[in-house]
Amino acid sequence: MVEISLESMHMVRGEIFQPDNIEFPELFIETRQFEGLVHIKNKSISTLLTPLRPIRDGTPIIGIDVSSIKVGTTEVGGVYAVRGAIVLNVSNRYRYLRFGPLPFHITKKSIRELFKDLCKNLPFDFSFFPHVEPQSQLCNLVERWLQAYVSHSARGNIILWDGSLTAGISGSPTAELSKILKIARENSNIVMAFSKDTTVRFLEWRITDLIAEHKPPCLFEVDSLPLSSPDFTRFLGRIYMEKLAEGGCTFRLDIDRAIPRENCITAVERLLGNELVYQGYPETLRLAHIYSTFTASDVIGIQRFLAKNYGLRFITQSNMHRTLFGPYGTRLGG
Amino acid sequence: MRLFKKAGNTLHILSFPGEEIEKGEYLLIRDEKAGKAMIAQVIDIEFANVPGIMEELLRSPDIKDSIQGEDSDPLDIMSHILYIQDARLLICKIHGTITNGELRQENSWLPSRTHSTICKLPTRSLIEMAGIEGGLPIKLGETHDSFPLAIDACQLDGKLNIITGKKGTGKSHLSKLLVLGLVDYGATVIILDLNGEYTNLGYDRDGSKNKYHNKIHVLSPGKTFKVTLYQTKLYVIMRTLTYALGLPGTSAREFRHIWRFLEKKRRLTLYELGQAIQSWKCNQHVKDALYSRYSALVNSGFFTDNMAEATDFEEMLCKTERKGGGVIVIDLSDMSPSDRQMVVEYVLAKLQEALSQWKIRAVFLFAEEAHLYLKETYWDDIVTRMRHFGLFTTFVTNQPNTIHENIYRQADNIFLLNFVNEHDLQTISRAARADAETVTSIVRDLPPHRCLLLGRIVKDFPIVVKIRPLNVKTMGQTRFFFTKEETKKEHTLDYVQFSL
Repeated sequence: MVEISLESMHMVRGEIFQPDNIEFPELFIETRQFEGLVHIKNKSISTLLTPLRPIRDGTPIIGIDVSSIKVGTTEVGGVYAVRGAIVLNVSNRYRYLRFGPLPFHITKKSIRELFKDLCKNLPFDFSFFPHVEPQSQLCNLVERWLQAYVSHSARGNIILWDGSLTAGISGSPTAELSKILKIARENSNIVMAFSKDTTVRFLEWRITDLIAEHKPPCLFEVDSLPLSSPDFTRFLGRIYMEKLAEGGCTFRLDIDRAIPRENCITAVERLLGNELVYQGYPETLRLAHIYSTFTASDVIGIQRFLAKNYGLRFITQSNMHRTLFGPYGTRLGG
Repeated sequence: MRLFKKAGNTLHILSFPGEEIEKGEYLLIRDEKAGKAMIAQVIDIEFANVPGIMEELLRSPDIKDSIQGEDSDPLDIMSHILYIQDARLLICKIHGTITNGELRQENSWLPSRTHSTICKLPTRSLIEMAGIEGGLPIKLGETHDSFPLAIDACQLDGKLNIITGKKGTGKSHLSKLLVLGLVDYGATVIILDLNGEYTNLGYDRDGSKNKYHNKIHVLSPGKTFKVTLYQTKLYVIMRTLTYALGLPGTSAREFRHIWRFLEKKRRLTLYELGQAIQSWKCNQHVKDALYSRYSALVNSGFFTDNMAEATDFEEMLCKTERKGGGVIVIDLSDMSPSDRQMVVEYVLAKLQEALSQWKIRAVFLFAEEAHLYLKETYWDDIVTRMRHFGLFTTFVTNQPNTIHENIYRQADNIFLLNFVNEHDLQTISRAARADAETVTSIVRDLPPHRCLLLGRIVKDFPIVVKIRPLNVKTMGQTRFFFTKEETKKEHTLDYVQFSL
């Protein structure tokens, strides 16, 4: 991956470079999957609620997250940087491993080749979707690579992913995702994915709102409900809504479908017993997010690296909004 | 370093790791296209306002943190990120411009942000350009860049100087250095020594006599410094009685009559004065008032009727000057405030007399904590009138607010050692020879024995100097109850208990 990054960056040497405005937070992208709307058909909710009892057995918890950012634009494409973080919690002692940042120069010409090269050394085949933003695809690919690495090297751990276990959408090819889950299972790991926002609906209500009033910690099994979803998607995980902490938020939780229902519930109870849960969200995953995210000073540092190592010639970005509309051309608070 | 901003005479310069800059150093901003260079002094160093730094610090674990980890950063981008995060903002004051190799007090132009080059200005270059070192150098110590800085003794000649700094920062040490520097060039120096700190100027640290030994004369009032009433003029004794001993006006009038009577009869002795007061026909209250002051004069031990043990101060001054200069230390330690004032009144009156009659050329007066023995009426007199007679004063104090604002404004040279108290900093910032921001910002962080020089001695280019050590026996060190051995023992015990 490092070689591919360097290879891609060779093309950028001496080019004119327009750094992206680091004030705009939407440039920072986490891996995000785009699912169609999922609807739950009417059924009594309380029967689907499972109260949870924490099990303290010392199970290690691993959280994985990856962030990417567009660092700037060249005459032929864009420079993106990716950074991944793996956080391990053993008996409430946290350790992290950060990978990156790695810059990639992506152009229309090189993008397919680059993805092909990236997948060459991975046990998967991620096809490039031309209609999806290259930044999020790059981010997804690195994240899958880290997930595969952890699934392979960890044993008897609970592995937390950011997002869902929905396959068949961009960045989540069914075969590849199933392969990663299989490797994890073979190593006695249990994969759980936490979504901060979900599109799952019950009678047009957000499913997270439905269990908001119930006493935590509890799990609400969405999976047993008849769900309507687009044909191209496949749920590789058993879908739950979790509310793990008093006063905390409700999150969608996907657990590897190949694991029996009882084991899934026990796994959540083990997570509850061995992990700090703040606002209903596991600490390892929160830390993984924090460590992978790019700050503004990171971006300036990367831009300095590009200027120093590749002789990029910086030109300032003209703000068309500001040029045309003056003080009315800026964002609120921006 | 990159030029970032200019506001008034303040420049903001971005500096990066590896560019080691200290407060007080000078920078040269060279604009080749304009053919000019700007000289600016760093008065403060801040962290550059790098966006996202708060988030970065919040997530990065510190040594004690329970979260430990490692970064796999194959391209070493992190070093660039850290480089950005460690960027500093140098707040600088503009001090002049070099055009065609000539230094001018001009800051009306703006160097280019894009193609100006910024580098440190070595003190040697600044000294040469500004012509700071003159013909009579007094070595003070070293600057940041290890340049041996010397000031020109001529810049102390005819000038009013102030040495100030909080306790223990090296004020007396610096004054000793200046005193001996002046003596090297044949100057006559008088020290009003409040704590007996200068009495051993003639000895090396090991107690042996140094090269100044024969030039140092220590006068201890009441012991080695006594005067007769004949030597004391009426106006001197009147000032002493009025200011030092608080004699009321009516009584002072009677005293004048008694003095003139004795003078006429050629019986102006201490004994006769006592007798005359007792037998003088006047109001009993006046008589009591006069006798109580007379007793004070007698008890001070400063006055004597024995000509053999009396010191001819004026002659001593003349002799010192004739012999190529020297130091007269008036040891005011262990004296009551009123006795101290009495002695100082006498010394100053005699000095004024000798100078006004051209018996001596000029005298450098070093006055330590002058507010403790100098009446307010004297301050302006010393600073303005007596300066024209050739009395050049250096005030040494750790209480800057005891020196009036107008004296700060008239001071030609100010030697500032460390102050942290805001009130003190505000007081010294009133000095006319530097802007308040430079003074407060640099002085606040000066370590002991580092001094900020302001004024003519540095041609108004404030310079920080580390005062060099002096091989002179110290006296007047604070007496302590606990000895070094005792405190060492205590610490060892603590350590043993802690390790157990």
